[in-house]
Amino acid sequence: MKKQILKAGLLGLLVAGFITQASWAQSDPTGKRRVTGTYAITNATLFSAPGQAGVKGTVLIKDGVIQGAGSGVQIPKEAQIIAGDSLFIYPGFIDGAGNMGVTRPKDPERPKDMVNSNPPDEIAGITPWRSVTDQYSSNASQVEDWRKAGFTMSQILPEGGMIPGKAAIMVLGDPQSTNLLQLNTALAANFRGSRGMYPATAVGVMAKFRDVYQNSSYALEHEKLFASTTGVSRPQTTPTESGMAAVVQKQIPVIFSVTNDLEIRRAISLQKELGFKLVLTGLEYYEPVIDLIKSSNVPVLIKLSIPDDKALKAQKEEGVPEATKAQYARVKEAYDQALKQASLLEKAGIPFAFSTIDAKAGDAHKALKAMVENGLSEKAALAALTTNPASILGINRVAGTLEKGKMANMVILTDSLFKEGAQVKHVIADGFVFDYEIKKKAAASNGKSENGGTVKIEGTWEYTSETPAGSNGGEIILKKEGSEYSGSITYDDPSGSGKISSPIKNVSFSGNRLSFDFNVAAEGMNLTVNISGDVNGSSMEGTMSVAQFGSFPIKAKLASPSLND
Amino acid sequence: MKKLTLILSAFLGLGMNLTFAQAPKGNILIKNATVLTVTQGTQENADVLVQDGLIKQIGKNLNAPAGVETIDATGKFLMPGIIDAHSHVALDVVNEGTSPITSEVRMKDMVNPYEIGIYRALAGGVTVSHAMHGSANVIGGQNATLKHRWGSSNPADIIMQDAPRTIKFALGENPTRVHGRGNGIQPRTRMGVEAVIRNGFNEAIQYKKAWEAYNAGKAQKGNTLTPPAYNERLQTLVDILDGKIIVHCHSYRADEIYMMINVFRDFGIKKLVFQHTNEGFKVAPEIAEYTMGASVFADWWAYKMEVYYSTAFNAAILQKNGVITSINSDSAELIRHLYHEAAKTQRYGGLTDEEALAMITINPAKQLGLDSKIGSIEVGKQADLVIFDHHPLSVYAVPQMTFVDGVKYFDIQKDKDDQRQIVSATEMVEPVYLRNAEEDDHRCMQDLDAYYEAFQGAFMGHKH
Repeated sequence: MKKQILKAGLLGLLVAGFITQASWAQSDPTGKRRVTGTYAITNATLFSAPGQAGVKGTVLIKDGVIQGAGSGVQIPKEAQIIAGDSLFIYPGFIDGAGNMGVTRPKDPERPKDMVNSNPPDEIAGITPWRSVTDQYSSNASQVEDWRKAGFTMSQILPEGGMIPGKAAIMVLGDPQSTNLLQLNTALAANFRGSRGMYPATAVGVMAKFRDVYQNSSYALEHEKLFASTTGVSRPQTTPTESGMAAVVQKQIPVIFSVTNDLEIRRAISLQKELGFKLVLTGLEYYEPVIDLIKSSNVPVLIKLSIPDDKALKAQKEEGVPEATKAQYARVKEAYDQALKQASLLEKAGIPFAFSTIDAKAGDAHKALKAMVENGLSEKAALAALTTNPASILGINRVAGTLEKGKMANMVILTDSLFKEGAQVKHVIADGFVFDYEIKKKAAASNGKSENGGTVKIEGTWEYTSETPAGSNGGEIILKKEGSEYSGSITYDDPSGSGKISSPIKNVSFSGNRLSFDFNVAAEGMNLTVNISGDVNGSSMEGTMSVAQFGSFPIKAKLASPSLND
Repeated sequence: MKKLTLILSAFLGLGMNLTFAQAPKGNILIKNATVLTVTQGTQENADVLVQDGLIKQIGKNLNAPAGVETIDATGKFLMPGIIDAHSHVALDVVNEGTSPITSEVRMKDMVNPYEIGIYRALAGGVTVSHAMHGSANVIGGQNATLKHRWGSSNPADIIMQDAPRTIKFALGENPTRVHGRGNGIQPRTRMGVEAVIRNGFNEAIQYKKAWEAYNAGKAQKGNTLTPPAYNERLQTLVDILDGKIIVHCHSYRADEIYMMINVFRDFGIKKLVFQHTNEGFKVAPEIAEYTMGASVFADWWAYKMEVYYSTAFNAAILQKNGVITSINSDSAELIRHLYHEAAKTQRYGGLTDEEALAMITINPAKQLGLDSKIGSIEVGKQADLVIFDHHPLSVYAVPQMTFVDGVKYFDIQKDKDDQRQIVSATEMVEPVYLRNAEEDDHRCMQDLDAYYEAFQGAFMGHKH
């Protein structure tokens, strides 16, 4: 009985934010308050957990909690009905490690007497006391992008240096809610050195990590002695040492960002040496260490993306020497093997999950399908999106499946998840319903409009885009040579005033969908920007996206040749 | 008891493969070679039997035990695997160049077993390399000694686990440029370098005392002593003072070499090897008396001011003065033909074959504290071996096969075009065309360089 009250209390806490709003419908000058927090999605095909076959049924949610899922669910009067007859419902996806909505905090000002060989922790990127919640904005465009891809929760990692701070689990619910599920879930760490000061390289970072860890554990010893014995000098525990305490006491894991097998080995060797709890995230190349991951029993979050195939596309058919052809074959082999990696984790029995960091939300389903086409079972893929991250994050009591009592997080599609052409129609996160536009199936042939005519896109387009930095605009010039498109784009110079131009590449035009990339050099980084959108007559609407920064709406009009000419 | 250990290791040491990697060990019989033992003379038409990675027998008419492969080396030369006492091959990071002392960093953390330089070194007969921290700092990081077991993806497999600890020190222009001129901190001069070392060791002595006092007092009843700040940087210097680590010191000038000898004598440290040591010939008797020797280039100098006063006779002069002398590469290119580098001591200084070969085998083994395990062909030593087609000191010599612990990692007959262990899925491959001399040197284009330069100057905003 006591337990139940506790449970109810906890769930109550989770949803308290809008219970009050829903129950006392007072005047609402904004007009934004929703009429009800109760929804029923009726007669849909439910996939309640990985490996379970789809069954027809109804899902009833109330105030952020699933009240029932299956057949024979009683629908109360206040429920808003969503007809689910042709829809497919899955548990909401959970991102094991993300940085959506997280903005890197400003670097603190360097003290005048700072020596690069011994900088203060805060400046050297050692800030374990920081919480990612101070860097998070729930109405950032990336949050919307990932929600649209079906994600309803994310463990977000802070931005910063080698130990940037503590992670938190967020629900991707209504931007007006607090959306926090759990604070300080893990300590983020990586092998990035700080620029121009100690520790500047991975070898320095590993040494500094040992130093910070050992001193934090001695600081606890000192505090203990001070508490139990008189005559002991006052502990002078630093913010770093206090920030590390939960890790040293093994209450929370270190979540280490690693990309390849060597970094995985480095993180595991630190863990073996010092004894902390470890989660690995951001894995890209890990085939040689699958046995080690298995035997070390370390949870892993692999990157939710597949390798860029530009190196494959750049391979020339003719006029290359035999030796180069042999090298081409090895790149192809490496590429194919990279797509198979996730399935090798499944074969080894490793319950992995995904990380969305450095991945593009718009390509997430494509990446998943590629993994499934290359041997990953649909069951394991769904588990990696739902139940596995829930248990890695320790939240499987409230998330991961469609079950009575769990949080109302789900993704509702037009077809079953891994089918070609399946589109996300609604996402329910934290009991809030988000609706998405369903696009009609585009015609298969290149550049043909639905009525069979050919859409011409060559010419000069004028575009405007809305970014957090303000409105931006310029010209896109598209040319067609044979069946290939090329051209250029102008945009505001990120490092000054005026406009600069970059060539565009990877242009594809299929159905009404136009997509291309271009590179922007900004602050020493080379960013690849993707623009994709739907062409309708002489106008285009779509998004401009950059992997690390999210996506922003863009509109363009064909200026010349104008249709009126 | 054994069962208990097994059960415990099953529970606790699931990641055993990381720390206790079992290096492969081979069995082989090499027949009819000219065996250059380096320490025990040369045996003509002799056989060497390797079992379980160790040299079991050297002699004539040896028979291969059942299942042991025989290699016919008639007309060929067998020598101990070459040891390079100064290398940076297979390291992902070389310098943590942000602090004058970084003794806490470990090059073992940065070993990359995929680096193609390992295979190239094997093709040059090098079986062991000393993967060192760079010379940006006065006291750099702890080095790794590598065994070139090419083909493993696990760094632990190529780290020589039974090698003693070593560390890099550096004197002269590099640390004074990086820290003094670059960052405005000590050391700005050679005097500063000495001060950094002395201050470091004095602090280490204080550190050691503080921990000794704490460890002695903490178990006492009513103890009020608290743990001192932990500092692996100082702990490593304590280990040097306690003789647990061999110091390999980058040095050029005679004055700074002599300074370093005096500093180490003051602190009672005996394990010291000089690296580069271009002016070592001026202080050869002192190096011989007080240190574990010098590791030098055969004939490489004049790349900065402090390296001008140099001679190709350096190695021979040091050797004749009783200095343990080795010849190293410090380069991914030179490491492929250290046998040529060693042969230069015969041209400049007239060393014997055995003395010259010792420069790349038993002498570097001594400097790494490994002469009981490797560096010569002797019964009981680890079977790191190279077969050459000619005498290794001949200009015609080409390594044919290279073995580490009796396992063959290089065979010139089986040398593939593309030896890379891993290939990136996203890296483009550009065709490589070998330079066609005839096309490049078309006579009709001869002597036009000046014209092109003028053209560029006039029309392309040439700025020099």
